Amino acid sequence: MIEHRFETAELTRVEGEGSLRLRIRDGEVLEARLEIFEAPRYFEQIVVGRTPNEVIDIVARICGICPVAYQMTAVHAFEDLAGIEIDPSVRALRRLFYCGEWLESHALHVYLLHAPDFLGYDSAVAMARDHRDLVERALRLRRAGDALIAVIGGRPIHPVSVRVGGFSRVPRRTELTALRPLVEGALADATETVRWAAGLEPPVMAREPRLVALRDSREYPFNAGRIVSSDGLDLAPTDWLTAFEEYQVAGSNALHARSRDGGTPYLLGPTARIALAGSGLHPLAAAALAETGLADEIRTNVFRSIVARAVELVQVAADALDIIDAYAPPSEPMVSSEPTPGVAAWATEAPRGLLFHRYEMDERGRVASATIVPPTSQNQAAIEADLRAFAPAIVALSHVEATRQFEQLIRSYDPCISCATHFLDLRVEEVAR
Amino acid sequence: MDVILGTPAYLPRTRLPYLFTALQAAGRRIIGPTISDGAIIYDEIRGVEDLPRGWADQQSAGHYRLVPGNADRYFGYVVGPTSFKRFTFPPTVPLWRARREGSEVTTEAIEPEAPALAFLGVRGCELAAIGVQDRVLRDGFVADPDYAARRAAIFIVAVQCTVSASTCFCTSMGTGPEVTTGYDIALTELNDGYLVEAGSEAGRRLMDTLPLTPAESVQQDEAKESVAAVRRTIGDPVAVEGLPARLLARLDDAGWAAVAERCLGCTNCTLVCPTCFCTSVGQVSDLDGTDSIAERTWDSCFSPTFARVAGGDFRPRLQDRYRQWLTHKFSTWVDQFGSFGCVGCGRCVTWCPVGIDVREELARIAPVETVAPVVAGETIQRPVAVPAAPPAPIALPVVGSTVSADFSRATVTRIKPETVDTYTLHLTDLDPRLLATQPGQFVMVEQPAFPPVPISVSRIGPSGIELTVRAAGPATKAITMLAPGDQVSLRGPLGRGWPLAELDGRDVILVAGGLGLAPLRPLVEAVLARLVPSQKVRLYLGARTPADRLFVADAAAWARTAGVDFEETVDRAGSDWTGRVGIVTHLFDEAEWDGRDAIAFVCGPERMMQAVAATLTRRGVTPEHTWLTMERHMECGIGLCGHCQLGRVFVCRDGPVFSVAELGDAFGQEGL
Amino acid sequence: MGRESRRADVRVGVARFTSCGGCQLTLVGLHDALLALFERVSIVEFAEVLSPRSGGPYDVLLVEGSVATPDQARRIVELRRQARALVVIGACATTGGIQALRNWADGDAWRAAVYPNPEFVAALPTSTPIADHVHVDAELRGCPIDPGQLKEVLTAVLVGRRPQLAETAVCAECKRRGTPCLLVDRGLPCLGPVTQAGCGAICPAFGRACYGCFGPVATPNVAALRAQLAGQGRSDEELGRLFAGFTANAPAFRAVAQPPEHNE
Repeated sequence: MIEHRFETAELTRVEGEGSLRLRIRDGEVLEARLEIFEAPRYFEQIVVGRTPNEVIDIVARICGICPVAYQMTAVHAFEDLAGIEIDPSVRALRRLFYCGEWLESHALHVYLLHAPDFLGYDSAVAMARDHRDLVERALRLRRAGDALIAVIGGRPIHPVSVRVGGFSRVPRRTELTALRPLVEGALADATETVRWAAGLEPPVMAREPRLVALRDSREYPFNAGRIVSSDGLDLAPTDWLTAFEEYQVAGSNALHARSRDGGTPYLLGPTARIALAGSGLHPLAAAALAETGLADEIRTNVFRSIVARAVELVQVAADALDIIDAYAPPSEPMVSSEPTPGVAAWATEAPRGLLFHRYEMDERGRVASATIVPPTSQNQAAIEADLRAFAPAIVALSHVEATRQFEQLIRSYDPCISCATHFLDLRVEEVAR
Repeated sequence: MDVILGTPAYLPRTRLPYLFTALQAAGRRIIGPTISDGAIIYDEIRGVEDLPRGWADQQSAGHYRLVPGNADRYFGYVVGPTSFKRFTFPPTVPLWRARREGSEVTTEAIEPEAPALAFLGVRGCELAAIGVQDRVLRDGFVADPDYAARRAAIFIVAVQCTVSASTCFCTSMGTGPEVTTGYDIALTELNDGYLVEAGSEAGRRLMDTLPLTPAESVQQDEAKESVAAVRRTIGDPVAVEGLPARLLARLDDAGWAAVAERCLGCTNCTLVCPTCFCTSVGQVSDLDGTDSIAERTWDSCFSPTFARVAGGDFRPRLQDRYRQWLTHKFSTWVDQFGSFGCVGCGRCVTWCPVGIDVREELARIAPVETVAPVVAGETIQRPVAVPAAPPAPIALPVVGSTVSADFSRATVTRIKPETVDTYTLHLTDLDPRLLATQPGQFVMVEQPAFPPVPISVSRIGPSGIELTVRAAGPATKAITMLAPGDQVSLRGPLGRGWPLAELDGRDVILVAGGLGLAPLRPLVEAVLARLVPSQKVRLYLGARTPADRLFVADAAAWARTAGVDFEETVDRAGSDWTGRVGIVTHLFDEAEWDGRDAIAFVCGPERMMQAVAATLTRRGVTPEHTWLTMERHMECGIGLCGHCQLGRVFVCRDGPVFSVAELGDAFGQEGL
Repeated sequence: MGRESRRADVRVGVARFTSCGGCQLTLVGLHDALLALFERVSIVEFAEVLSPRSGGPYDVLLVEGSVATPDQARRIVELRRQARALVVIGACATTGGIQALRNWADGDAWRAAVYPNPEFVAALPTSTPIADHVHVDAELRGCPIDPGQLKEVLTAVLVGRRPQLAETAVCAECKRRGTPCLLVDRGLPCLGPVTQAGCGAICPAFGRACYGCFGPVATPNVAALRAQLAGQGRSDEELGRLFAGFTANAPAFRAVAQPPEHNE
């Protein structure tokens, strides 16, 4: 009997703190658990009693990597409840805002967190010594993303201008056109990123995951669209709970998300979006994807997700340029609204995938209760399923190399553990200490 | 038409765009009123369409709202939160770049930018404010090159006030509402157009290019009457007669604490003020600190760091800071620059978030009923639109003959440890002006990436000077870590030194505490060098411990010099100390000598100097003959940054050496 | 000599406690300065970017996040022993962060409200700043911190100078930026006058009131501002919520902050 145990004390190069526990006996996976030991912050409690605009400020703090995603999901939920029609220019600005966050987040993940796995370094710092050009490219992409968020929201992390009905301030046209050179550079860098990522050698893997993403008839999905899946689901963005649920992991307090159809794991994020909503890709992004010839493989081999992320870098850079060129400031930065009781719910596409918010609003228009389902808590089951599937092929490798590949696999999902504060998976022993 | 200086012409409102075209044709960008963020601010404008046509501003203490006004008027508002100082004296200006390569240091001033601007819509109070800043920053003790360059490139289109706000008090301060002088062109907005007058030759030439018609007398009458109506509306809300003295008589008033209860200490009043000029210098450097740019930024006497030095804060309480601000504006500014520092624009009243109204505070703290002490020769010059001849500097005897605001380099040739944390640096390869340093003067030591540090010159030799530095903080520590061969960048000599001319054969009393001996050493050496047989020199030195004594060898030599009475004491002694223990005043409060005809020089911590001065007074030394050197936070060293103000004086510019008589009540006043 | 010794290898660590990760991400947001930093210092611990781990020692340790679990309370003591200079970064580390609002609730009420089996959650009933547990050498305020201030504090440590960090209220930056006061011209409930500068006065420039994410100035006159806002017709409940933000647990704000009531 051969039993292998793989444990990372703490996963590195992921946004947040988690660890991996994997037990394999004679090729059979006994346990595959991605554990999260983020300290809880009780955001669902913090927002109780707050007004919609306060909630928009507060939920940004769930995640320092994707605050825009949290703000966008909340603001659309509240506007949907209040029946507010936002100005088309505001709608375009919000898309541009989200483009900035995707640029930042994907560039961070592709180059600074994930690339070292493929090139054989333990960090971007070490990688920078031999591949300074890659790190510089990443920083240029991030600079463009930072600039897009900051011009609209004041600062790249926890921006300040998102309000129910619009923005507290909108940029002048000249402020956006001034960023054009930076974004043009990002488009060139993104296009180069696709070529570079397509040339990376991934471990072998072939499986057909269940995919879930937003799909919109007008555009690649950010702030709007219906929730669709690779097996035919089709829901309004308010109705996530009709097909999915949060559940408590047996024997622990972890809150994961699962499909109500019996808990089939499903995958969110770039891969799912390209597979389900690829028809909405910008022509430049579609061309970049076609050039790689990897459209199928990015779906079947999760190690190829770096290519999907790179294609989305092209998507957001190209999209951003179009929005900048077409921009005319709205007549008013925001339309006013009245406090509205009822249920506010919405889903948007965070860089890591579908993010769902639901708020029950009391008669004063304040939050009575909240449910926030981040993408990583939905992806967790898929990650664990992939670990199980992948494990038998890997255990033959040296322990060090196998652990590295397991970590690389987990990083392929770009797990953002910071946001996932409410699916804690702490061991009881730890509590007892 | 031919434009004649001083003869008004008429421009129909429809032709106002010609003014823009003419200014732009002259290569000027136009800075004028425009609406932004709910207020009328001053910013670059490109044409009449950017002007706040049809808008008025409703203002009261802590309150401002844009409201619809006379639909046709472009200038139907009063003044907003911006003042034109934003463009003559921008919030952040790079001053110099300093680099260190190996032992070499290069410090280069950054050339001022001076864009050709036209200010459009300058009101009477604002012209006066420009005049006030001209006196402070251009026509004063040392001109600020950046200000002077920017100011010279400005063309002023003034606008007469035909409306006022409840916050206006230009009438009391003598600055408006009439625009009388100091402009290139002045406009008065009438029902259908503008009365246009040239105030300078440049203005007359520009008017020549405008499609003007002669002004009819009815138009001139309308213009006069509309401004006169504003004057009647405002009235005379502040009693300025005797105000400077009334305020100074109330330094201990309970009203300061009362206003501090309401004051947020937010700095808004000072930063919206069109005359406030206080700044700080920050260093923007690379990670190694070898290449840095010094940037000057607007600061405020309400800033918590404003009066802070390594040893503490001279104005720790909010009431100290409020008192500093109000007394400076309405009292000590007069001593320093010959006019009030307030022009009555009312910005500090409107833009105070809690609505503190200086007019009310002045009436409360310094009411007219106060019996003011008569101050000889006091005259109040109200700000006038055009700076008259630069006012005489404060009437203090100027002793230092050389003051240099330029950078020069020197080489460290020796470093001598004096105590555990104090070192003396010997500098050579000096700018000759530094060799002419007078005892008591100081230099600003500028190290790349570090804030400038004022250091007294502790020895002036034929080929070099010495600086004695205690590593009290990181910047002074960095100076003590320099090595022989290293260059340093200096500005100086600065300030006014000890009044050697006053020696005049008198007996001399020298009292030093701790590091205070450093600025006294060159004086001691000068005194001993010109000692006459009839003269007595009494030298009293104090230190915390025997190990903290400075210049031990020098002191031993002074003690042996004929005609010198030498005594020293320490606060705390070890077993190997056989000398006196106790505070320095104990060395002479029981002494036999009569100080009535003596002259005394004192340097040490301020509390120690207060005790020494009191003892000297009891021994007969007059306040006029008791000289001190004061410490305050300094950034510029030339009276332009405002940090070192102490009552009527700037310590860097007017001192650091003062007689007790000169300082008057300011010496020993808590929180000043 | 001194300058040469300063060139020696400087070991920098980044540690995370309870937080969103945004402040340490600000380090990555330094862009070009980040590469210069990589060359100038050794970053020996930064779990979100580096795989190799170091238990110390550190010349400079940047600590993000608040102490909110028993394990964190132990870990910070150990890290302090390993750090020559410990710099706390961000509102969580300097005040306890938004998650410190739990401190107003009864004991573990919030944990019980969110988790069916709260006994499995190793969380303290409070979220507290690092300085409540160990000595800190410097602090960077903000939710998140300002990249310019981060660069300044790193430069200051490397150069050996005092960090130049504003101690004035946000108002000073607002005025320099040229933004009219929106307390005065729109009557908005702005915390700028009692909040420490450093952000560059972003919120007022973007048309909204400052919400105090840099925490209070050293001696804020909160009572005077509160009185002014109350005079504009704001209820105690609204004012309580206003101060119950990202730095609610800073003493000067804590005294007046009141998070909304919970009905559980």
